[in-house]
Amino acid sequence: MDGAPETVRQLARMPGLATELEPYREMLLANVVMVGEIPAPTFGEEERIRFIKQRFTECGLQSCSSDEVGNGMGILPGARGDKTILVSAHADTPFAAGENHTFTIEPGIIRGPGVADNSMGLAVLATLPTVLEGLGIKLQSDLLLLAPTRSLEQGDQQGIRFFLSNSTIPITTGIVVEGSPLGRLHYRSMASLGGMISCIVDRKVCHLSAIEILNSLISQLGQIELCAQTNTAVVLGSVRGGVTYKLPARTAHLRFQLRSDADDKVNSINRQILSMLDDAAKQKGVSAYLEVIARTRSGGLEAAHPLVNTARKIMRTIGVQPKASIYSSTISPYLEQDIPAVCLGVSNGDNLNYADEYIEIEPMLTGLAQVIGLLLCIDGGDCA
Amino acid sequence: MHNINIWLESNTFHHSQFWDLLRLIRKKEELGLTISLCIPTLNEEKTIGKEVVLFKSELQDRYPLLDEIVVIDSGSTDRTLEVASAFGADVYSSADILPEQGFKRGKGENLWKAIYQLKGDIIVYVDADISNIHPRFVYGLVAPLIYRPEVQYVKSFYDRPLALSKEIRASGGGRVTEILVRPLFSLFFPELTAIIQPLSGEYAVRRQILEEIPFPIGYGVETSHLIDVYTQYGLEAFAQTDLDRRVHRHQEIRDLGKMAFGILQTFIKRLNANGMVVDLPQLTMNLRQFQVRESQYEQIIHEIVEEERPPMQEITAYQEKFSHL
Repeated sequence: MDGAPETVRQLARMPGLATELEPYREMLLANVVMVGEIPAPTFGEEERIRFIKQRFTECGLQSCSSDEVGNGMGILPGARGDKTILVSAHADTPFAAGENHTFTIEPGIIRGPGVADNSMGLAVLATLPTVLEGLGIKLQSDLLLLAPTRSLEQGDQQGIRFFLSNSTIPITTGIVVEGSPLGRLHYRSMASLGGMISCIVDRKVCHLSAIEILNSLISQLGQIELCAQTNTAVVLGSVRGGVTYKLPARTAHLRFQLRSDADDKVNSINRQILSMLDDAAKQKGVSAYLEVIARTRSGGLEAAHPLVNTARKIMRTIGVQPKASIYSSTISPYLEQDIPAVCLGVSNGDNLNYADEYIEIEPMLTGLAQVIGLLLCIDGGDCA
Repeated sequence: MHNINIWLESNTFHHSQFWDLLRLIRKKEELGLTISLCIPTLNEEKTIGKEVVLFKSELQDRYPLLDEIVVIDSGSTDRTLEVASAFGADVYSSADILPEQGFKRGKGENLWKAIYQLKGDIIVYVDADISNIHPRFVYGLVAPLIYRPEVQYVKSFYDRPLALSKEIRASGGGRVTEILVRPLFSLFFPELTAIIQPLSGEYAVRRQILEEIPFPIGYGVETSHLIDVYTQYGLEAFAQTDLDRRVHRHQEIRDLGKMAFGILQTFIKRLNANGMVVDLPQLTMNLRQFQVRESQYEQIIHEIVEEERPPMQEITAYQEKFSHL
């Protein structure tokens, strides 16, 4: 086994760690259910954050509090406290507060809206202090647990961005926890722009349907020259328009995302789109405009960075094969502040963002073990 | 009905009044009480896992309020027992408890046998079919017994969003409660109408009360408890706690008919025993319902016999097991 001394020591502990976590299985499951059954639509996470803070308080964390954008946080002080490791899991879901948030525990799986994205991640935050205490683990660094709000869609990761921009606590390293999939090891962010194109027709002066105008714009989007070397792509996400089959549509909307390894490429395509919209709006009675929903920057850690290397080794030691994809928008807020960070998944799930979303119970202790393993290695100073 | 208003004021709670579980546990320990949770089951594999996980994790591991969590099963043919056991509940088949007393199928049978099997000074019963289960279903019911020594029996009730205006909300029971039980209580036991949901399946009771009342094995168990405890101890022995929402299976109207029939039998039996009605003829145990098949009306006869188990304190095995009390 190669690597720095602390990593070698922690890797030796890893194979048996999931078994050591067995007594905490019910606590983790209960936290998944308790947190997940509290609705938390983006911009409406207050009640869920209140619960998370209550859990942090029960665990004896310090500074359990919220900031101006509603993020929930608590600090487990380390023995030395000269460094701070941030473990975060976003609190919001794409489900409206009025939807049925009842979870079911079936043999082998937990099912419910948002269980994988991101009740399981939040449950790891809520359980982690108890587990560390139970295993007799006393970190040298302060451990800051954070449940950021306003992550998804229009939220544009406002919660974590606000925290990282305004926190007076210097963060050494970040671990982002997502419910699924186990094997997720994201350490880079692509440049991206998520946006909504809206076409609106004034029917008093124009008899065109807004859908025809949007359709023309979609065709033009398809003709934009993409660059394979920078993995540039345009994703057409959703379309909405009109209210009846009998009348030309007055409004039509397209949600899309531009992605690329290169920030410049996203910016240049964005300019092309704005030009297309200007041309469309030259028609009498037509307006067409772009609303930017979310942006991320390109960048992140290199594959050989000690944090990535250590995470990979930990995963392999416990029999988890790291997935091929290395990109996640969750990394962008960290790279914007030059904080090294990786994103890990806890278990395997499916039907994400649908009411029958589920996550597997059996792998979750392995997922929790990898988070603890990485935490110990970072704490030991081998991942900088 | 002055007494009802006083009682509603002093003995009706909301679970949020008992959020401080550390205080509750300190008081429980100070009083030296033990508390057992009984979950009666019959084919509940879809909901039992979550109930056991939540209660074990929250009310045993995190806050040690419950001394035991026991599932008593009436003969499930699905994976109810396997799931409950896997998540840490003590699991018993009703037929295996007091085998010399035989086995009768019914929820009341499970509740009755729980008195023998469970060791707590307080037993809290929670149905297994609640999909929005939460620790409040237990601590909300147990807390009045811990804080108020004169309270013997705590019933649950639930918010039913029947909004009439912004200020007035009709808070009441289900269909059988509102068209059968409450009218009957209004006629014969008016004070019991203050119990908002007399048929709710969640309640916490002191052992000394449970062991001295008979148990109908089927639909009538909740109604009989209320009448029997009321006639002996009065309304003051009861409290009730609002547990907010309860999401559970919706029952077909035919099934409610069977339930109403069983409850009515239990009720009439108590009217007789209390001398409140006399000279009733021999009553049939057959419920007649009708269905249409190809424009022909068919009669369906359900024989529903609301058998009762005697007070547990009369059972010799129980006297021996709990002789120290």
